[in-house]
Amino acid sequence: MAASAAALTLPLDRKAKREEDRELVRLSQSGTESAFEELVRRHQQRVFALVGGILRRQEDVEDVAQQVFLKAFLGIKRFDQRAAFSTWLYKIAVNECWDYLRKKKVRPLVYESDLSEEQVSRLDGIVSADRPPEGPNTRAEARELLERMLSALPEQDRQLLVLKEMEGFSVQELAEILDLNVNTVKVRLFRARGRIMEAYRRRADAQSKAAGVAAAQKKG
Amino acid sequence: MTWEFRKGACGEYELLLEDYLNGALGSSEKATVEQHLRACVPCRAAFENAAASVRLMRLAGPSDGPGPAFARTVMARIRAAEDRVAERMGVWQPLVRFGWRFAATATLVLGVLVTYDAGWVRPAQRGANGARVAAMTDIFAPDPGKAPASRDEVLMMEAEVTHGN
Repeated sequence: MAASAAALTLPLDRKAKREEDRELVRLSQSGTESAFEELVRRHQQRVFALVGGILRRQEDVEDVAQQVFLKAFLGIKRFDQRAAFSTWLYKIAVNECWDYLRKKKVRPLVYESDLSEEQVSRLDGIVSADRPPEGPNTRAEARELLERMLSALPEQDRQLLVLKEMEGFSVQELAEILDLNVNTVKVRLFRARGRIMEAYRRRADAQSKAAGVAAAQKKG
Repeated sequence: MTWEFRKGACGEYELLLEDYLNGALGSSEKATVEQHLRACVPCRAAFENAAASVRLMRLAGPSDGPGPAFARTVMARIRAAEDRVAERMGVWQPLVRFGWRFAATATLVLGVLVTYDAGWVRPAQRGANGARVAAMTDIFAPDPGKAPASRDEVLMMEAEVTHGN
């Protein structure tokens, strides 16, 4: 009942895409490889975004994403289409990422060093002025700075924020992929937003204090 | 830095504030939240924080997408995996088939044995064992054919037993 209600509220193009996916899945289940290849093409971008959002290591993303599709191919005959193909695929992707991290025994990404004073002031400008980054360099720099701040958050907060704000997943999708209640996702997201700004403020404060001490020593 | 930082908003407004941030509220709920934001300083600060975090997060943009050859690479990997499985199955297929047949036969034989043991043999065996036990108890029971007919015979039997030992 809930599923059909959700389907009714889906935008038309999403509904049509879901129907096409169903047909492609049926063909894949009957052994048509080209149908599965089409499914790969349709979902590769989102799988990359999801895997990239969790791992944050560009060099590992492609390998894990390939593994996700391989597992999907091997398991597609058992997929009963009660859920959307995308949801099923994203769950495989999340599990694959966790397996990968477990095997590698690493945290998704940890930056040891702090932000420089210059970086903090640049971030300050960007965040308070609400202006988009100017060019590819600025964007890459913003990403790097942001990664440093995200590393200060608990893993689940980081994932939720990255997947929602950077990779464009909806709250509903996140709830389905991560097996959480929609309201839980919303509350966690809201708290995570507070935490990242708190982490930002802490770093900025520490940096300005350090700069003050350095300036005083210079004078002295 | 001009924001006022605080650990959290009012518990009952967190959900609504997140929806408000995402533009997902209806007009009446939106009005309620806006009214609350005007009155509640901590919620206003938390909301401003959240809005700043959205700006911050969107600066970086999504991670890089796959290259143009990604789907082909995936399919090649799938075909290679299928070939490997087929190859492995080719070598081990006779053994696997023999294993399955052996397992099926063994299960069938075991089933027959268990059924036979439980259904037919046990009652018959129980009958035979009963007879054997009865026979053993007969050794110690007085022989009905040789039952003493008189007091003298009883005394004679007792004397036989005593002297016999």
